[in-house]
Amino acid sequence: MNSLKQDWLSNVRNDLLAGLAVALALIPEAIAFSIIAGVDPKVGLYASFCIATVIAFTGGRPGMISAATGAMAVLMVTLVKDHGLQYLLAATLLTGVLQIIAGWLNLAVLMRFVSRSVITGFVNALAILIFMAQLPELIGMSWQVYAVVAAGLVIIYGFPYLTKAIPSPLVTIVLLTIAAIFFGLDIRTVGDMGDLPDSLPVFLLPEVPLNLETLQIILPFSATMAMVGLLESMMTAAIVDDLTDSPSNKRRECVGQGIANIASGCVGGMAGCAMIGQSVINVKSGGRGRLSTLSAGLFLLIMVVFLGDWVAQIPMAALVAVMIMVSIGTFNWASIWNLRSNPKSFSTEMIITVVVVVATHDLAQGVLAGVLVTGFFFAHKVGQVLYVGSQSEDEGRMRSYSVVGQVFFASAERFVSAFDFKEVIETVRIDVSRAHFWDITAVTALDKVVIKFRREGTEVEVIGLNQASATMVDRFAVHDKPDAVEGLMGDH
Amino acid sequence: MQPEHKILACVDQSQFADYVADYAAWAATRMGAPLEFLHILHRHPEVSIGNDHSGAIGFGAQETLLTELSEQDEARSRDAREQGRLFLNRLRQRAIAAGVEAPDVRQRHGALEQTLVEQAEGVRLFVLGRRGESAETTQRDLGRNVEQMVRALHRPILAVTEGFQEPRRAMVAFDGKAVTRKGVEMIASSPLFRDLPVHLLMSGKQRKDAAKQLDWARTRLEAAGIEAPTALVPGDAERVIARYAKDQDIDLLIMGAYAHSPLRSLLFGSKTSDLLRSAKIPTLLLR
Repeated sequence: MNSLKQDWLSNVRNDLLAGLAVALALIPEAIAFSIIAGVDPKVGLYASFCIATVIAFTGGRPGMISAATGAMAVLMVTLVKDHGLQYLLAATLLTGVLQIIAGWLNLAVLMRFVSRSVITGFVNALAILIFMAQLPELIGMSWQVYAVVAAGLVIIYGFPYLTKAIPSPLVTIVLLTIAAIFFGLDIRTVGDMGDLPDSLPVFLLPEVPLNLETLQIILPFSATMAMVGLLESMMTAAIVDDLTDSPSNKRRECVGQGIANIASGCVGGMAGCAMIGQSVINVKSGGRGRLSTLSAGLFLLIMVVFLGDWVAQIPMAALVAVMIMVSIGTFNWASIWNLRSNPKSFSTEMIITVVVVVATHDLAQGVLAGVLVTGFFFAHKVGQVLYVGSQSEDEGRMRSYSVVGQVFFASAERFVSAFDFKEVIETVRIDVSRAHFWDITAVTALDKVVIKFRREGTEVEVIGLNQASATMVDRFAVHDKPDAVEGLMGDH
Repeated sequence: MQPEHKILACVDQSQFADYVADYAAWAATRMGAPLEFLHILHRHPEVSIGNDHSGAIGFGAQETLLTELSEQDEARSRDAREQGRLFLNRLRQRAIAAGVEAPDVRQRHGALEQTLVEQAEGVRLFVLGRRGESAETTQRDLGRNVEQMVRALHRPILAVTEGFQEPRRAMVAFDGKAVTRKGVEMIASSPLFRDLPVHLLMSGKQRKDAAKQLDWARTRLEAAGIEAPTALVPGDAERVIARYAKDQDIDLLIMGAYAHSPLRSLLFGSKTSDLLRSAKIPTLLLR
């Protein structure tokens, strides 16, 4: 009871004000990415309302904002183009189910394999996607559009110098809408982009045939969306954790995202997830509790449903200005300023993630590529931590090798080549007490060394296998099992 | 200095702090034990203090915000620390004026209960206010922390009420059970009650051996040089104790605390909590 009160009511005034500021930043993203996904703005707006209000109750990170996002929208494009809106809604439901399963399986722990460089790349790619989504509204337009966007940016960044009491995006949108109507500017408005919500959301199930074929169509999309949604949500949660210096429940967040997406699919909305930019806006504006997320959703609904006629008059260029702000605020500029001073591997991993995302419009593929490259770099680095020294002993009858460091797939070759097999000697002693054999490749390499020496007629003695290495050797090695040695020799 | 025998006065910035200090000082001078004031600082990350509602994010928004928020937290922590230090020093002066030699002060971060459990080592007596900062505005008589804390700490606890009056007559709510009998032993051996009459009151359902038990307790106390009038009043313990305290002008109630499991007290209510709630005088809880 105590924490329930703490989550909801300890910060009421600031939560409500922050919710208002966030709602204004949700509208342009929902509209812009509905258009990218090829559906009416109302699909994105209903989704944003529904996800924000549901996640306020079900989420594991109070103060984080979730709604219809660009990251998810770019994944839906072909599904909508080829099969239509109903299949998108079905895919949204399935996404939610997959996310709930991921939460139960506690897959959030896999986030630890996503390094800082990949996270930075993800964030930057996201900012670029958001910016690119604005380009259709910018390229080949009249000078009036550019003037409105420029004026919008000036107001957004300039107005806070006058007062920080009210959200500057609100001022921007209101002033620019008035100006556009007053001067009768011939520019595109929100109303021109498609249907806006005209009523409160109603419950409806997607009209798709319930068969295997449908599943085959939507499953690939749902799986990708579930993964991207959870990735962005986990990253955003980590960011909000850092900003507010308070812990969150990642598992609950996974399940919560799933429930929110199912709810969204049931009211005709598209899938969404947590939003980095809007969450930063929320925390910056003083939002901390669940009330901030809930109020963002409710303000959004009030604005688009009850002020719909006015919303339809908003020039798209004003929303573009707001989205450019979100894009700038999301991008991690330090990773560019410090591109040269950061470690090369860091910058490379970051850039690969960005490039793959921008090329494929799929954040999941970008993260996968980034994680793979990080793995390569890491294996390479740790593979360097290997030293093999030797010394002749017992008046030239014996050579004693000592191995220090990590032996595994990336360093096995170096390990083998460090031994001098052509040396004519009675005994070889390999001291591995300060080495660790990690995998089958390493164990096989040790076997190979032992067998090669034996073939030269040299006695081999391996000493000091530490416990972990010893188990590996016991389970996989053949050199101390005479029958198996035959098998290995046969390969040569 | 004997750190293993200190009296720990747990204070927060409520009106009770002064009375806690007074009673702690009283106990410290009587027992000749060192006194330490403990003030617990609790950060509230769920509350924001920003007044920037512009909702505009620019270059390096995340990094700037993180720096800004940690600076705010830093300043806030520093303020709280400084404020707490001044507050503690005022109480320290108060205790010195009451005759305590060199009282110590300490501030700690954390949640109340956990901090006290961590600090319990080497504490002879806890002194705390019946109500804390959080309870001042509510109607509840018993600060919500008290039961949890009494259960967590296996040390005597003096729960003080509003106002300070040097105790002149104490009373044991005696039920003849093991906890209270152990309590009588503690009273007999403690310097806290030297030259102080300690009434022994037995109430509630009468046990067969009540008179015998009461006799044992009186003999035990008198052997320690403590005047111990006894009374055996049947009836509802809560009411009997309250009336007796009023009639006899008792200003300190002593009782065994929470002999039963938390589950049992949740289901059937706890006599300790009832008594604590109804008693208008400071209560010494023995574990």
